[in-house]
Parts: sequence; structure tokens; C-alpha cells
Amino acid sequence: MEFKEVVGRRRSIRFFDPDRPVEREKIQTILETARLASCAVNAHWLRAIVVNRDDLPEEKRNMLKTPVAALTLDLAPVHIYFFVDLGIVNRIKGSRLKQLVDAGALAPSHGWSHKFVDDFVYPQILEPMTRNLEGYVPAAFADAGGAAQNALLAAFDEGLGACLNTPNPMLTKQVFGVPEDWLSMWVMLVGYPAESWEAGGQRPRPDFEELYYEGEYGKPFRRDEAVVEKLKAAKMITAPAPLPDRKDEIRRLTEELGLPE
Amino acid sequence: MALDQPIADYETARTWRNGLKEQWGDEPDMTARFDALERFCVLTGRDPDAMIADCTRLVETGKRIRIKARREYSEKIAEFQEASGGTPREQQKLGNTVRSFFIHNGIFMQSGLAG
Repeated sequence: MEFKEVVGRRRSIRFFDPDRPVEREKIQTILETARLASCAVNAHWLRAIVVNRDDLPEEKRNMLKTPVAALTLDLAPVHIYFFVDLGIVNRIKGSRLKQLVDAGALAPSHGWSHKFVDDFVYPQILEPMTRNLEGYVPAAFADAGGAAQNALLAAFDEGLGACLNTPNPMLTKQVFGVPEDWLSMWVMLVGYPAESWEAGGQRPRPDFEELYYEGEYGKPFRRDEAVVEKLKAAKMITAPAPLPDRKDEIRRLTEELGLPE
Repeated sequence: MALDQPIADYETARTWRNGLKEQWGDEPDMTARFDALERFCVLTGRDPDAMIADCTRLVETGKRIRIKARREYSEKIAEFQEASGGTPREQQKLGNTVRSFFIHNGIFMQSGLAG
């Protein structure tokens, strides 16, 4: 699928076919895509634990349910629990930045050298940063969030549906026995959608100009309708929700899956 | 427990009917739904308005859901559907009817999948 179409087809899928398994190869593809995400200082904070719903003991599965995601956890055959490894920066001590120098991604042309990393970047910036949790934790989460978004798009590119949820952070740590310095981030529920790919249409979004500015705060970035039309043609901007048959679709799914109306 | 007025006259029963109409667009047939709710009221010994009131409390910033009460009602619904006889699918449907009453009255509730 073309990139723009993948973006255009992504929805938070909440009706999964509970009985259709997901191929392991597709899960690996999702993880491979996360691994290739852009990452500050090449640290790679994102960690994932992949769980097949039916392999999880019922007691643990129930522990992981939150009030708003209990049903989707039951429906989705695969759960990918994302964590943020806060300890990574002090374990690698700048070595992955030096790998970037060796790989030619960071070059003297831009001021980079092994010595700069060893003498300045790690001891003067990165290590102190990890002690300022107020700044470090949001930065690590933002970075991991970008990688998780790669994973999310990959799921749709593989013809799957997916949805991100926030689990109870204490319980995920307990259930999976992760290291003390890992923080729980999201669970990505993955499976084949029981609903159509449109899932009722592209979700409402705030106006473009309300979100983006040009040059300074308060001066909206002007939206060019010709670009919008091109993106529609590329299937990135698709028919907006609610599509006319959405209620019928929900009613059918409700009936098929035995859910409240 | 006998209700002190027809079930359709309770405010929360009206909210439920209106919620179904708003969600699905047509006038819902409430006969079987009210019957299920009334049977559930008998099990809990509470009328519809009282059940919803049990699940909420007012705080300075507005209405809050009482998690413990919601969990207790959720467990009661599971008990209600299991005791109802019929196939697992029919039991689930009955429980979901009662869940729908809570949901349309703003008490977030989810069911598991039918057995």
C-alpha cells in the first residue's frame, strides 16, 4: 500500500474478529517498523512485549483490563505492550551516537566526533538529563511514541486493524515482570477488523488552521485546497465519519459479537 | 421488590429509551427491555433510578462514577444472566439489555464476549 493510503486507512479499530489469528510474520513486520523509527541520540527507548491473547492466563488477562478497554482486550488476538526503558541512556553512554559517527550519519562537517560524544555529549548533556526526570521522562516517552506510531501504521499496511490504549502502568509491570526502570506506555491491540476498513469514516479532526501556524504563534498555516484535493486523490484524506451506514454496521457487529446496544 | 410506579415512568428508564432512539434512530420496542430491567430490579431490590444513583456521586466538579457500586452492579448482571437459563448467547443478550440501561444512563460498562 502507498504511504498516504496507509495513513488514510488508519482508524482506531475497536471491533476485531476475535477468532482470526494474526500471522507471526506480520507482528514481526510491525516490530521491525518500530525499530526503524527516528530516535534521539540513537538511544531507542521503546520496548515491546508481544502477547497472544489466548496464551495469557485468564487471571493476568483480567488484571490487564481497564474499564474502557476490557472488551477490546478480549476481542483482539494479539496485544503488544509498549514500555519505555529509562535506563538505556546510562547503559550505552553515548556508544550508539558514536556508531552514527562511524556510519557516516553524523560527520565532522556538522561538528561530530567520538571525542565530542565522550567528553561532552554523554557526561555533560545526556547523563545529567537522565537525573532531571521532569524533562527526561516526557522526552523518552515522546521518542518512544514516535516509534509506536510507526508500528501502528505498519499494522494497517499489513491489512490488520489496531488501536492504542493506555493500560494500568503498575499492573503491566507486575504482570510482565519488567525491569524496574521500564515505564509502561501503551498497549497496541492488533487483529483483523470485524468492521469494514472505513470503520465508519475518517474521524473528525480540529480545523487545520487551529493546529498549525506559520512563522509565529497566531498566524495560521494556510491550507491550500488544491493540496487537499491531491491528498484525497492519493486516498490519504478519505470520506469523513459518520458514513451513512455506520449505525447499521455497529448494529450488525453488536448482534454478531453479542454486545450491548 | 415491587416498583412503586410503572417502570417506563422512571426517569432513568426514559433516559434509556431516549438514548436508544438517539443512537439507532428509530423508536425502540421497550417491552422486552423493560421486562428484563424489571426482573433485574427484583434481583437487586432497587428501582431503576436508585440503581443509577447508587453508581454516581456529586463532587464539587460534577458527577463521578462510584467504581465500587458499578463493579457490584456489573457482577450482579453477570449473576442475573447466568441464572436466567437459555443458551449462553441468550444469557449474554439478557445481561447486555441491562448493561444497555446503565450505559445510556452514563454508567460506562462493558461486557465480555458471549460464551
